[in-house]
Amino acid sequence: MSRLTFFALRIAQAVPAILAIATLNFLLLHLAPGDAADIIVASSGHGSPELVAELRRSYGLDQPLHVQFLVYVGRLLSLDLGTSLVFNRPVIELIGERLGATLIVMLTAIGLAVLIGLVLGIVAALRHRGWLDAFVSVAALIVYATPQFWLGLMLIVFFSITLDLFPSGGMRTIGVELGPLASVLDVARHLILPATTLGLFYVAVYTRLMRTSMLDIMTLDYIKTARAKGLSELRIAFTHAARNALLPVVTLMGVQIGHLLGGSILVETVFGWPGLGRLVLDALLQRDLVLLLGILFVSSVVVVVTNLLVDLLYGILDPRLAS
Amino acid sequence: MKTGVNLPALVVALGAAMAIVQPLQAQTPVKGGSLTYAYHPEPNAMSTIATTAVPVSLIATKIYESLLQWEGAEMRPVPGLAESWTRSEDGKTWTFKLRAGVKWHDGAPFTSEDVKFSIEGIVRPYHARGRAMFGDVEAIETPDATTVSFKLKAPVPYFLKAFQSSETPIMPKHKFQGIDLTQAAAVRGAEVLTRQPVGTGPFKLKEWQRGSHIILERNPDYWREGRPYLDQLILRVLPDGAARAIAMEKGEVDLAPQGALPEAEIQRLSKLAHLEASIAGSEALGPNMWLELNLREPPLSDVRVRQAISMLLDRKRIIDVIWYGYGKPGIGPIVSSDPNHFNKALKPYAYDPRKAAELLDQAGYKRGSDGVRFKITQHMVPYGESWTRLGEYVKQELGKQGIAVETKSTDLAGWLKAIYTDWDFHMTSTFQHNYADPSIGVARAYLSENIKRGGTAMNSMAYKNPRVDQLFALAARELDPVKRKAQFDEVQQIIHDEQPVIYLVEMQWVHLWNKRVNGLITNGVSMYSGWDGVWKAR
Repeated sequence: MSRLTFFALRIAQAVPAILAIATLNFLLLHLAPGDAADIIVASSGHGSPELVAELRRSYGLDQPLHVQFLVYVGRLLSLDLGTSLVFNRPVIELIGERLGATLIVMLTAIGLAVLIGLVLGIVAALRHRGWLDAFVSVAALIVYATPQFWLGLMLIVFFSITLDLFPSGGMRTIGVELGPLASVLDVARHLILPATTLGLFYVAVYTRLMRTSMLDIMTLDYIKTARAKGLSELRIAFTHAARNALLPVVTLMGVQIGHLLGGSILVETVFGWPGLGRLVLDALLQRDLVLLLGILFVSSVVVVVTNLLVDLLYGILDPRLAS
Repeated sequence: MKTGVNLPALVVALGAAMAIVQPLQAQTPVKGGSLTYAYHPEPNAMSTIATTAVPVSLIATKIYESLLQWEGAEMRPVPGLAESWTRSEDGKTWTFKLRAGVKWHDGAPFTSEDVKFSIEGIVRPYHARGRAMFGDVEAIETPDATTVSFKLKAPVPYFLKAFQSSETPIMPKHKFQGIDLTQAAAVRGAEVLTRQPVGTGPFKLKEWQRGSHIILERNPDYWREGRPYLDQLILRVLPDGAARAIAMEKGEVDLAPQGALPEAEIQRLSKLAHLEASIAGSEALGPNMWLELNLREPPLSDVRVRQAISMLLDRKRIIDVIWYGYGKPGIGPIVSSDPNHFNKALKPYAYDPRKAAELLDQAGYKRGSDGVRFKITQHMVPYGESWTRLGEYVKQELGKQGIAVETKSTDLAGWLKAIYTDWDFHMTSTFQHNYADPSIGVARAYLSENIKRGGTAMNSMAYKNPRVDQLFALAARELDPVKRKAQFDEVQQIIHDEQPVIYLVEMQWVHLWNKRVNGLITNGVSMYSGWDGVWKAR
């Protein structure tokens, strides 16, 4: 099987997966009692049954479930995510405004986590049973067990209030005009605490995983051969062992993208980061199912596409998988 | 002879002069600067036509205005977009003379056509209280560009009170061209409601970074000369309560308006030197917290049981322990902060478990062998932590006297459906605002014609008393304030005795601001006012 057919096959599998997720989302969300018309009217503190009925009719919420489902699927197939019930604007616009912010914090967090996690994992494995190994392992365990929202608040208290080093929230300084470079630096300054909060957990995960994976590989025959050739331990670790030890880490990264999206809800709340995570929660609380389904659809596409990329990466790391 | 200056005396005199000058300076408004307030959730619209939820009302009332403005906690009407107004002898015609030369934020002239259009096309059909406020309007006439005349079917004593900016915002007619006004979704999707507001107010939209902030800027063409004082008004959307408190503490944010902060944080922050907390400024909203009861079946259909439950709850404790001291014991349907309508003869039900037990015995609900008199369910209203604690307190206190309470939790949509559509509940805590007038904000919950499924804040209890219906109907037409007060007094007495809901707390909205901010509290809906007179010391 060529690499091309391998990917064609993967994509062919992805489309029905996304449609199945979309269907399941629709059905699950419609199981809960109550709808957006009630919430819209209740948010004004008062409302007649006539107004609620008019809203329901106008937004199509009075249609039988199967009709609503057909409308939803019909829209999806024409790549239309619909209009939000609560914001009264196209869902695709609402997502577009927020997706960037979420991706910035997610990619920074995961990028840092992988980088730091790999280095720490390799170092710990090389110093197996030494004090450095013990320290890294214990530190990783503690970080792994720390709740993210608490960590976020503590970082704010220490770095923002006590030391006054970083802003306590938001994505940019409001109300000042900045040049292009200054804007980037401004966002970066705001990004440090949320990305650290989101990323630290994954640093712990990748450190532990990479350490174990390296320890396994370092006992294999081809490593012994490399040692017999007289190569330095560092060279063996980084050029011979690390590449193979990466496979489980890459697998986990793919799986964790969905998890990371979930984590960003918390972090975005604590730091007032204007991303998709907050929008999910707002949509959920206000029963804006059109918006919610839109966000879930986009996230499922992101997760599936990431996993496709992981498969691609696999093929590069270990050509045997693609053949 | 010594003719030199008496230095100590001069110092004292200067000091005295300074002491006089200092407060005077502090009173002189400073122009310019920006005021930042924090809130969450983010507004989901730019106009209260979509919803009068707090975040929307806060921002929309700076952009859109009504015909009148309001002064003082007792809400005296003063000129706004209307310079003057008159009522006909029979009370059935109101004529407003509009201010000439007022411009919309896009430069178009504001005229009487905008007023007629706003009320007929937008407010009456689509504002949550539109039908309550303008249901009796038969015709709106616009003899010229600055005159609007309302013809009513019958006199409406509270007619003027509808003209507050959150209740009856005047919208630009020219911005609704091509929109199908018969479709709620189309009206609610109009650009001026969702993202490009065009009002006549002191501020206009400059920038909206979704999920982050909104910046309003000074409207240089505002009709009131020299106003507003502030150059900018900024909303920062900070989703986490602790983060909002930190931003106030650090001075990054100048104001946390009603409900923006958890009560525990307010208590802590109000002790800081640079911050000030105030319960003044929201008198005309009149939030009233109660236990809503389903009277359709026993035991809650028995008035003695309801009175007993009322005596089992210690209102002072609820206020002190759960609401950190903010609030007053709940008394009846009209809150005591409305001096024009509140019946001063009424007192809250006193905490008296012994008498309650007697009443329950009399009603035939004696303790069984397991100590239980009867079982009921309580829906926990999903308004946050304090409300959950209230639900737990109710369960605990009623349990002590043999009323076994089983609690049920849902999200808001599920709660609304259970209470107002399915009527599938026994008891739930909630609150409702009195709003501008009892005929708008109070009667709705007790009228038997409002025992209808769907809608919210209707008569979910199925409370029915012909005399109550009659009194509310009379008061809705009575132009003589003395007679009207007597009608409201009687209705309050009946409802207080019958306890169709159990009044717990007259809530108080707390606003917290940086002391550099001045001029915020001007009337009974201060946070929903235009803030053209607000300024910030440097």
